[in-house]
Amino acid sequence: MAEKIIGIDLGTSNSAASVMQGGKPTLIPAAEGTTVAGKAFPSVVAFSKDGELLVGEPARRQAVTNPENTIREAKRKMGEDFLYKIQGKEYKPQQISAFILQKIKRDAEAFTGDTINKAVITVPAYFNDNQRQATKDAGTIAGLEVVRIINEPTAASLAFGLDKSKEDMKILVFDFGGGTLDVTIMEMGGGVFEVMSTSGDTKLGGADMDQAIIDYVIDEFRKKEGIDLSSDSTAVTRIKEAGEKAKIELSTVMETDVNLPFIAQDSSGAKNLEVKITRAKLDDLVNPIVQRCKSSIDKALEDAKISTSDITKIVLIGGPTRMPIVKKFVSDSVGKDGESGVDPMEAVAFGAAVQAGIIAGDVTSDIVLLDVTPLTLGIETLGGVREPIIERNTTIPTSKDKTFTTAADSQTAVTINVVQGERPMVADNVSLGTFNLTDIPPAPRGVPQINVKFDIDANGILNVTAKDLGTGKDAKITIQSTTKMSDDEIKKMQEDAEGHAEEDKKKKESVDIKNEAESFIYTTEKLVNQDLKDKIPQEKGIQITDAIKELKDSLSQDSEQIKQKLEALKTIVNEVTTELYKNTSPPPGEQQSGEQQSGEQQSGEQQSGEQQSDANSEQKSENTSS
Amino acid sequence: MSENKESTNEEKIESGDNLDIIDDGIKKLQEENSDLKDKWQRALADYQNLERRTQVEISQRVSSKTNDLLLNFINIYEDFVRAENSLSKEKIDTSGIIAVIKNMESLLFENNIKPIDAIGKIFDPQIHEAVSMIVNETLDEGTITQEVSKGYISGKAILKPSKVIVSKK
Repeated sequence: MAEKIIGIDLGTSNSAASVMQGGKPTLIPAAEGTTVAGKAFPSVVAFSKDGELLVGEPARRQAVTNPENTIREAKRKMGEDFLYKIQGKEYKPQQISAFILQKIKRDAEAFTGDTINKAVITVPAYFNDNQRQATKDAGTIAGLEVVRIINEPTAASLAFGLDKSKEDMKILVFDFGGGTLDVTIMEMGGGVFEVMSTSGDTKLGGADMDQAIIDYVIDEFRKKEGIDLSSDSTAVTRIKEAGEKAKIELSTVMETDVNLPFIAQDSSGAKNLEVKITRAKLDDLVNPIVQRCKSSIDKALEDAKISTSDITKIVLIGGPTRMPIVKKFVSDSVGKDGESGVDPMEAVAFGAAVQAGIIAGDVTSDIVLLDVTPLTLGIETLGGVREPIIERNTTIPTSKDKTFTTAADSQTAVTINVVQGERPMVADNVSLGTFNLTDIPPAPRGVPQINVKFDIDANGILNVTAKDLGTGKDAKITIQSTTKMSDDEIKKMQEDAEGHAEEDKKKKESVDIKNEAESFIYTTEKLVNQDLKDKIPQEKGIQITDAIKELKDSLSQDSEQIKQKLEALKTIVNEVTTELYKNTSPPPGEQQSGEQQSGEQQSGEQQSGEQQSDANSEQKSENTSS
Repeated sequence: MSENKESTNEEKIESGDNLDIIDDGIKKLQEENSDLKDKWQRALADYQNLERRTQVEISQRVSSKTNDLLLNFINIYEDFVRAENSLSKEKIDTSGIIAVIKNMESLLFENNIKPIDAIGKIFDPQIHEAVSMIVNETLDEGTITQEVSKGYISGKAILKPSKVIVSKK
């Protein structure tokens, strides 16, 4: 079994960790259980008076009793030349972070039942190399090999599955945490995320909102009862808990009651706190805090040199973004709704776990299933024209076939040149390999039927088989790694195709008209010299011969000239054949004219279902080159 | 003639080249078989692990939901305790309320929920959460002087830590 790699969201106030289980990211609970705030591991480290190390929830609980030996927000000091001095000992910020990572490692091992030695850790997009290296060092100190450091907004985007999109996009990630706001704008193309700009406020977060609610409730009680509860710690604790509950409830209901009986007592007896909070009131209370986020969004857009209309997706991270007012604020500011489906508190850790799963190979089976051929696969036909067999972006494994014919009389072999690319001319694409189908019985051009079948398996290996339908003889080639081109190469080929579309179209038309002319000359010569030799009036025969000569001479000229001469020849041949049918009225089904013959070629090609619709127009160009 | 031709073909099959092809074919099939066996065993193992994990997850979810419900119940239970305290101070008969409180306590006990001892104990961050400190020269440093919110344990897990005020010198 693949070694388990965990994903860690090493946050400023709180951290979270996740691991892939059964193909899905699962949150790792702390041994102490999840805190009310949501994330399992408060990023707090402390040393008790007798030197005992406390990490996470216990460290947070004792912080007020032991502030000098309690370290919070060590993340803000990562990569700096800074030392924490605790009980006569010095600790670097990465050592403090290592204590948190060690605790996560321990709890992850208890949760999964496996030894955990590797992790993917997330960092803010604005972290520099020093800060990233310090994060990696923290992992090493904790006994974790950090297999990848990824940006928090990238991780969140992975959790929402945005990396699977085939389209390029610009993503605005709005990370509103307990105490900080980070706005990141990223560009995503071909599964690669690139940060365009970051902005934020290090002193703005959900904690400000909770305080606004507490202040409001205390104020309401003061107005009603004339008692100030702010100095009564028991009352404040009860209000804080009830306020947090009300805030969560108001994300789904329009109003809620905060009922705290017997919260105070005066000479007249016990006092009960009863405050109704509506969503509108809550919005009113937190609106000033929410509005402060606007400048960070504007700054990020300005730095990225884009406008709101350029943003394709919005990703919301952090507990406060669960609130309808925050969601609405971001939607209104950017003009689009945020992505949904993943808990914003868990998104970063989940994304880190998804990345870890990819590295560990836990999610490769999905990737194989979703794989597509990045470029069109086809073969070379007469005149160097590329005939597509499997179009780009076709999900594999798949198999497709087409039937072709020969380009010359008595042709006994065809060369199949397998090409990959988006351009209509073979020369502009990449040849993956060639092979020969030999021993075709000699026959006039257009008679043999050669079926070419492309089959790509789940691993992207392409098998091309060419079969002479007349004799059953076949030949094949196996091409490994048709999908293993680098992303850059694929992108370049696709861009080339778009850039040369017009020019390529002209080139292909010119080859097509030449192929059509040559084919018509062949058919007409056969008609005049063999099939209808004695039935064509001499004068008409001369006319046709002259027209053929003129057409042949024009073949080296531009396609307009060829087209004119071809039309001229067609007109004369039509006149002759029409005249002949008038004079002879053979029984139905026994007609043998030049036109019919080309029809027979066509019906041969129609055996492959795909070609029926354009068989007429493409018939000439589908002759395989020999 | 044709029979002769057939026997010539048979001889060819037995020749070295063709044996190599057959050997290669067998090797390929063996590899494929071992690959499929590996995948099948993994799928089977995944299923068994999923079954085990599902059982654990179900019991965790049930216990988490039960704990959420019990925490809400505890809030109401505490309101009754406050009511009884307040009313008894006013010399009002609270025997009925006391009976209700006892019933509530036995419900908590039946669900293995116990209150955490706090007042007079030395602060322990594993079960207590300090909200502030108060100077007290007579008590040992770190003694809990006031409990602002009661804590509870469910089995060995902390359902809710006690929120307390701690002494300092």
